[in-house]
Amino acid sequence: MISIEGVSVEYQNGVRALNDVSLSIPKGEFAFIVGSTGSGKSTLLRLLYREMLPSKGRVIVSGEDVTALSANEVPFLRRKLGIVFQDFKLLPQKNLWENLAFALRVIGAQPKEIRRRIGDALNMVGLTHRCDSFPHQMSGGEQQRAAIARALVNHPTVLIADEPTGNLDPDTSWEIIQLLEQINIRGATVLVATHDSHIVDRMKKRVIQLDSGFLVRDQHKGTYQDSES
Amino acid sequence: MAYASISTIALSLGVLGAFVLVALGANNFAASQIGKFEIAVYMNTSATRAQTDSLARAIGKLPDVKSVTVRSREEEWAKFKKSNPNIESAGLQSNPIPFSLDVKVAQASRTTYLANKIRAMSGVNTVRDGREILGRVMAIARVVRGVSIAGVIVLLITAVFIISNAIKLTLYARRREIQIMKLVGATNWFVRVPLIIEGIVFGAVGAFAAWILLRIGGAYVAGTAARLPMMSRFSSDVTPATLALVLILLGIIIGAAGSFVSIRRFLHD
Repeated sequence: MISIEGVSVEYQNGVRALNDVSLSIPKGEFAFIVGSTGSGKSTLLRLLYREMLPSKGRVIVSGEDVTALSANEVPFLRRKLGIVFQDFKLLPQKNLWENLAFALRVIGAQPKEIRRRIGDALNMVGLTHRCDSFPHQMSGGEQQRAAIARALVNHPTVLIADEPTGNLDPDTSWEIIQLLEQINIRGATVLVATHDSHIVDRMKKRVIQLDSGFLVRDQHKGTYQDSES
Repeated sequence: MAYASISTIALSLGVLGAFVLVALGANNFAASQIGKFEIAVYMNTSATRAQTDSLARAIGKLPDVKSVTVRSREEEWAKFKKSNPNIESAGLQSNPIPFSLDVKVAQASRTTYLANKIRAMSGVNTVRDGREILGRVMAIARVVRGVSIAGVIVLLITAVFIISNAIKLTLYARRREIQIMKLVGATNWFVRVPLIIEGIVFGAVGAFAAWILLRIGGAYVAGTAARLPMMSRFSSDVTPATLALVLILLGIIIGAAGSFVSIRRFLHD
């Protein structure tokens, strides 16, 4: 499903964000990417949705080499992905329903289809009753649920979450992670970059650890700290 | 923001339009002067009416001469005295004005040749052809044309720059929206089209404002010019509809170009 082959990312100032990283994530897996700030977690995720290109190596997402995509093909890659961020990236002047509708309108969905898909997504994240609320009227957890709902409207095969619980308290963080697990159970591959050790330890999922751009650990049913060393 | 860019475009296109209209007017003016092809012939003061008439007949027989008009020295003197009533008290008693002839030439290129030929005839004191004046008018027209072309180019570049800045501000204001659009898989054209339309609307509205300015300014200038001698021909043959069409087309091109420049940089693709 996702395959990263010998990928290095070097910035123009000579800083190496990733060093010869190779890993493969099968369809339907739930994996954490852990590491301290600046270890290369976000860079790795950005490669997947073609926000950036590697200096070396190949990145395969659902059978497609995304490094070979032309600028015109990138939007169609992104329609297969759901992307969630720490800062939610909701539009403050639009209410929840409009935020979701916006994401569907920009890819040319029909009004009937938009209504159906938003209904499904809001139901999935448990925010049906909040569809008239604006982001500032919602709690952090609700805003992240809203962002996840927006990522779900396209029925993504891969859900990418970059520090989704970074702004949330522990209880709310746990709710969000459980929601992501629900989405994973329904068939989507879920990748979560985090440095929230409690969550990682409690979930007992695959853990991919990066340190200064090097892949230092790839452990199934792992914990945040390397328990074997 | 929209107001700033529209008014700057209006101003740029207005000045541009004024440049072009003045250049066209100068051309027309020059052409109307060339159209006269005139040679003024002044006789010796001693020349009589009979001598003048016979010279007029001789000139009339020359090839490429369209017409010859004799100006009587008495009439000219009367005219002169009328416009300068103090002249007699100034001590000028007798008529100093010689007989003169207005020679109209059928072909401009023959003017100099004919002037020289007439100069050699007996009884002729001075011959003046319009060459000098025409040369000056043409030189001015050339300068005006050169300056307008340079000015137009500078203004066009400025207008593109201003629109691209206005669109840049729009892009900045909507950067979150655009970022999300791109993340959820909007095509680049989907992001671009509304912004290009915005640029085109700025350009077209600015052009329309420029057209109104030029119509008002043009009417004022024409009204003033009509009261000045010789300047009545100083107008261009551009109809308001043509002017509007050209300006709006230019506005649209400038607007679209300006948007495109900004969006290209912003989407970095």
